[in-house]
Amino acid sequence: MHDSLDELRNAKLNAPVSRRYVLNGILGISAVAAFGPLLAACAKSDSSTEAASGGKLGGELNFIGYSGEDAATVAKDFLTKNGITVKPTFIASPDEPLTKFKTGGRGQLDIISDNKDFQRSLLAAGEELYQALDLSRIPNAAGLFPAFASAEWLTKDGNVYGVPLIWGDEPCVYNPAKWDGVPAKYTDFADKKFKGELVMVDDAVANTWLWAKSMGIADPSRMTQKQIDATIKEMLKTKPNVVTFSASLGDQADVLVRGDASIAIGGWAYQIVLAEKKGVTLKSASPATDGTFYWSDAYGIAVDAPNIDNAYAFINYMMSPEANAAIATELGSGATISAAVDKLDANTKGLYDYSIVAQPGGGVLGSQVVTPPINDDGDIVGMPKWVKAWEAFKLG
Amino acid sequence: MSNGAATRRLLLPGSSFYVIFFVIPFVILGLYSFWTQIDFKMHPGFTLEHYQAVLTTSLYKGVFLRTIIVATLTAIIVVPIAYVLSYIMQFVFPRKGRILFDIILVSMFSGYLVRIYAWRTILGKEGLLNATLLQLRIISKPITFLIFSNWSIAITLVGLLIPLALLPISSSMANVSKDHLEVAGDLGSRGLKMHRTILIPMVLPGISTAFAISFILAAGDFVVPTMVGGTNGVMVGNLIADQFKGLAPNWPLGAALAMSVLVVLIAIHAALMRLVREITRW
Repeated sequence: MHDSLDELRNAKLNAPVSRRYVLNGILGISAVAAFGPLLAACAKSDSSTEAASGGKLGGELNFIGYSGEDAATVAKDFLTKNGITVKPTFIASPDEPLTKFKTGGRGQLDIISDNKDFQRSLLAAGEELYQALDLSRIPNAAGLFPAFASAEWLTKDGNVYGVPLIWGDEPCVYNPAKWDGVPAKYTDFADKKFKGELVMVDDAVANTWLWAKSMGIADPSRMTQKQIDATIKEMLKTKPNVVTFSASLGDQADVLVRGDASIAIGGWAYQIVLAEKKGVTLKSASPATDGTFYWSDAYGIAVDAPNIDNAYAFINYMMSPEANAAIATELGSGATISAAVDKLDANTKGLYDYSIVAQPGGGVLGSQVVTPPINDDGDIVGMPKWVKAWEAFKLG
Repeated sequence: MSNGAATRRLLLPGSSFYVIFFVIPFVILGLYSFWTQIDFKMHPGFTLEHYQAVLTTSLYKGVFLRTIIVATLTAIIVVPIAYVLSYIMQFVFPRKGRILFDIILVSMFSGYLVRIYAWRTILGKEGLLNATLLQLRIISKPITFLIFSNWSIAITLVGLLIPLALLPISSSMANVSKDHLEVAGDLGSRGLKMHRTILIPMVLPGISTAFAISFILAAGDFVVPTMVGGTNGVMVGNLIADQFKGLAPNWPLGAALAMSVLVVLIAIHAALMRLVREITRW
């Protein structure tokens, strides 16, 4: 029932870099079986739904976000009970909700699920997309870990624009039959002993950020053109050792499972679980000196959302410990509700270090900024130049 | 009602579909190539900067060249295989050939991505081919260039495109009577000469279509290069796709790349078809 990697083959494979992308195939009957107890508990735990909704539920709920985060399986009972039909639009990159909103989607979007860096960039740029949330309508959000309850990337002028759903990091995932661990620095991957052993995801931001960090750049998200050029030059030393740029994290796992590479850079702890189901043992570790970065995805509500009552009720439901544990399990991610952690199975619980999010501010998760500015900011180069630099790396 | 009016009415649904879903999007794409994009928004105007970027960016030249080589190689392999298969099915085993034709077509129902993954299974470092060669002790360690190389792109594309190339060639060949070939044989045109002087010229429209399908689909594909192409397998299709997604999309540049590829493909296709006509001329 857990033949997830086979299922992945049916997923949309031109989608870039998204840990959620791998999840397309994990949903469905197997998920129902795996999370049965949690889902049953979820059905009983929506006593606050009425408060969240204002008692006017039913009809449509337009969702735009990463695959799996529409919680079609986890929230099935809740949606059925309240007569809500989710109309999902899945994204491959975080800009898509904004693009859709600006190109005729205004008034047609309810819930947006996106990543923290893009949400931070949007709020900083004053781009109109999210509306300020009325947290009194999401009482379950009171159970968020301190890192997420005070998520500064979702707050502006005292207003909160999103509630985090899941989180995680991007470690290296390696085959312990070939390697004892990973080197201390990303730049060490240029060593010839790694030739034909590495696989990267086709991700302009993640890889460039990791190498810039490895080169000692204090805030890799704010690099000058000179710094980004130097970073790409350094990355090119590693390129001969890379066998492929995988289309997604799911595809990256597949390359590891098939033995075409033995180390995934910028991988995902959940790849270990996926590989185990294929009889392949993998381990994860981050370079001791450089570490890695953390991500988190949050639900927000779009400006002019047409089904706002449904949206609040849905978000509140997903913030219940049972639903949050179920979605974290389904997506191989960290739970954002503290009481959800005890409901996770040992494997899922062991994927992440919850002491990070237990501290106010979220420590490294809260302070790290990975995504560069959308546009140039003085000497600091914006996203288009990062993409150009990555293109130069791929073609170089 | 005149015949002309009746014909126009009959053509209306098909031509409307063609205009709405091909001509108009194509014109829009062409217009985009002259526009600019700022902060995810398209700004109408007229600039040649994207075409200039296509022509002057040295990295793009390598990608164009690789794309043309891989696409040409793919089409050159696909079309003869499809031609031979069609000939066998049509004239050598006309009854059993139908079964073979159906089997080949059924393979298309397995899904594009599934077939790509199947090729990964065959060509991988620990794949079927390497495992067999190792088992037979023909090689002592896995051949690494079988996967994640330009070769693997071409091999995979050939596997994927043969059924598509088979359709137009088989269709053309179905219109050729075996009597024609027998008469040609009686008059001394046998073997390769029969193919060169009789059959190929007769099915040239099918060959041309098969070549165009193979060549254009190979040149525009971005999934196969992504899945089996490795770090040096970026093709124009990937470049174009990259411009339409992500955090810094550049639709005008993508449109200019697409238009440029189209011009190059038409030129190459025309040149190669002319070459085939010359070779097969009596």
